[in-house]
Amino acid sequence: MSSPEDSTAVAPAPAKGGSRRPSLGSLEALSLGRYAGVIVALILVAALLTITQSTFLTWANMENIIAANSVILILALGATFVVISGGIDLSTASLMTAASMMLAIAFKSGWGLVPSVALALAFGAAAGLGNGLLIAKGKISFLAVTLGALSIWSSFALVVQEGQTVSVFSAKAFNPIHELVTNSIGPIPLLLIFDIALLLIAGGVLRYTTFGRSLFAIGSNEEAARLSGINVTRVLILVYTIAGLAAGLACIVSVGRLTAGSPTVDSNLLLTVLAAVLIGGTSFTGGLGGVAGTAIGVIFLGVVENGLTLSNVSSFWQGIVSGSILIIAVGFGVLRERGWSIRRARGANAAVTEGPVR
Amino acid sequence: MHAVGETGKTASHEPALVEVRGATVVYPGVVALDRVDFSIRAGEVHALTGENGSGKSTLAKVINGSAKPVEGEIYFEGELTEIANPRQGLDLGVVNISQELTLAPTLTVAENIFLGRLPTSGGRVDWGRLRRDGREVLERIGIDVSETAIVGDLNVELQQMVEISRAFSSEAKLLILDEATSSLSEQATRRLLALVDEHREKGVAVLMITHRMAELYAVCSTATVLRDGHLIGTAPLPETTEKRLVSMMVGRELDDYYNKREIAAGECVLELDALASEDGVLQETSLKVNRGEIVGVAGLVGSGKAELGLVLGGAVKSHGVAKVAGKEVKLGDPRKAIAGGIGFVPDDRKRSALLPNRSVAENFSLPWLSKFSRTGVLNLVSEKRAVGKAIDRYGVVTASANSTVTTLSGGNQQKVVLGRTFELDVDVLVLSEPTRGVDVGAKSEIYDLLQSAAEAGAGIVLISSELPELLGLADRIVVFFGGEIKGEFTREQMEEEAVAHVAVTGVHADSEEPNNETEGQ
Repeated sequence: MSSPEDSTAVAPAPAKGGSRRPSLGSLEALSLGRYAGVIVALILVAALLTITQSTFLTWANMENIIAANSVILILALGATFVVISGGIDLSTASLMTAASMMLAIAFKSGWGLVPSVALALAFGAAAGLGNGLLIAKGKISFLAVTLGALSIWSSFALVVQEGQTVSVFSAKAFNPIHELVTNSIGPIPLLLIFDIALLLIAGGVLRYTTFGRSLFAIGSNEEAARLSGINVTRVLILVYTIAGLAAGLACIVSVGRLTAGSPTVDSNLLLTVLAAVLIGGTSFTGGLGGVAGTAIGVIFLGVVENGLTLSNVSSFWQGIVSGSILIIAVGFGVLRERGWSIRRARGANAAVTEGPVR
Repeated sequence: MHAVGETGKTASHEPALVEVRGATVVYPGVVALDRVDFSIRAGEVHALTGENGSGKSTLAKVINGSAKPVEGEIYFEGELTEIANPRQGLDLGVVNISQELTLAPTLTVAENIFLGRLPTSGGRVDWGRLRRDGREVLERIGIDVSETAIVGDLNVELQQMVEISRAFSSEAKLLILDEATSSLSEQATRRLLALVDEHREKGVAVLMITHRMAELYAVCSTATVLRDGHLIGTAPLPETTEKRLVSMMVGRELDDYYNKREIAAGECVLELDALASEDGVLQETSLKVNRGEIVGVAGLVGSGKAELGLVLGGAVKSHGVAKVAGKEVKLGDPRKAIAGGIGFVPDDRKRSALLPNRSVAENFSLPWLSKFSRTGVLNLVSEKRAVGKAIDRYGVVTASANSTVTTLSGGNQQKVVLGRTFELDVDVLVLSEPTRGVDVGAKSEIYDLLQSAAEAGAGIVLISSELPELLGLADRIVVFFGGEIKGEFTREQMEEEAVAHVAVTGVHADSEEPNNETEGQ
């Protein structure tokens, strides 16, 4: 453990550039450490389910898990952006429901595929833009704005067809959407490809664009970002627009799976989305995190839920289980940070005794 | 190791108020304190000094109970004592004033002063008495602020004074002042030092953690020097020379750490005409700065000198004209200020410059992002190269470019902030308190960097509360008072007393110097 990087922290070498950290640096760059706990837990749960439930490790069940969690994943990707910027979007699940009503109505009214989907995406993005403008330009707290929007969009979804579910099964333009959620290329479900593509795009935007970097900067210290010439207003507007766009994308999958636009908001959806982001190691204080962790969080919660269903546990229990997991996962994150520090301190100790004598 | 100082008030056979033996403290990644011995007697003002990261604050924390040594013992009034937490420290009479403010910003001044010991009658807070007592404390200590003011509305200096009032109004046996003067003006510092003297006479022990030599020599009778967590020695004051103390601190001789270079001034690069902030803190100001010139800006807290930095950095709304290299710059937005050729380093590193949970590399490249991207996509390779170069050029000591920036010492954090601004290659650099919270060795390096930037042709506006720094570096000093420039000194005219006089009173001490009187009108 007495790696040379520790000794530089103790002994101020004559100012001469930073000595590069060896092995550990690359490991940390991969950030595997952050997710190690969740991944281990995921493997344990999966192993347990494989042993106890013969149906768990079947391709059909895997497809099930993917189908059941795609909406959550897409919303969680958007939510990750918002959380990194130091905010929260509470309206995401309601907006998704409202957008799915719009999409279903468009299909039902005989709109083509492209205009219908474009409408849903534009609807989501516009609503997100509204959030962003109120938050970034209007300087209204993101909690107030998105809580208000949550209420508005869940109500809107009910109002628009007087609470009726809009079936789209007979609409011709709906077919490709249906195929997206049901078909496969060989053994690979199309939906999985769709999810992975979105994940890669989101990860790429965070890592390789000035926008992504600005997002982390704003979440870490908004004033420092502003004084360094980052257009904070524009970035914040964009981030809520992306969250809205994610709701628009998610509604396509939702309508595809239900073959209908349902006007009632799934009351667990928002909590599951935020829990996945948190379990994935994105910090609610802003400036830390990423979409890879979020994906792991979604998979973990999805597998646990699947396991409960397979084990015939009443769905009433699911909230208790996922709530406990959330607290334990975040608690482990805290513990891991401490454990990490203790190991490092020991390493440094050794480095000091060997270090330059004055 | 213990050369005893000459306070003489307490008989030497009396046990020390606090004695620490062989204390070792380990923090994540560092041994902060390595078998350090220390003792302080009642009625003694003892300086604890050393570079940042030398373990001064850690030793203070051991004494007040907020850091637990893995080895070592603490004797309080001769008895082996375990101070497990700050509450126990307080009960023993150890009161700490740290450089980090510990006030409740939404409460009033009086509530903050008596926090944890509010006067009560019949189980309820006696608000009338709280206000009276608060008023009384503020008057005694001499702070011009209402006891009912909300602390969060006060500026940093006044907040620090409230913190100081809280400590000085308590029943302390040992007062620990951990860089308590770092955000105070000269005037407030003098008041604080007078308070220290007053309490010493009452038999209170005072432990002053500072690297300001003037303060140290003004009130302390003994200095303990730490370096890299080791005890270097304890020296009597004022017998020990400043040079000797500094060399104990940094482990080498530092002759003149300003190292003022002669830089030929070029043409005018910054011209301000009736520039004022919209909130009125900075009144209409006119000023010219040439290429290669370092213009020092002095003044007390609230004099408008900090506001000048904020206005030039585009951080606050303003009106008036600012021209860089002849071209007018639209201020009021940091992006426009940077684009117009003004690089600004704010005075509060933690609050407005650092991204605390991001890497050294990301902190460096924060203002450069547009340089590394076309159409919004970053070129990570050239970014990495530029960051690597900058780490070398600015002598940032870090384990890796990927280390979280807050694992660096204060001086190295500041070098990141300064370096990223210097690398913008702008015509004008506005540096507000560039060496605040930075140790002696790093200070000297920063002065070097700053002069190199001037040599490269930048015009530099150096805003500082540390007069020696301005006297050592500036080619010209302008002094702010009440939001306006009230005095200007060329290098030949610079004298500490004269500059301080203008800063405090707004007029020249010597009225036979009429040439400066009209400045800034």
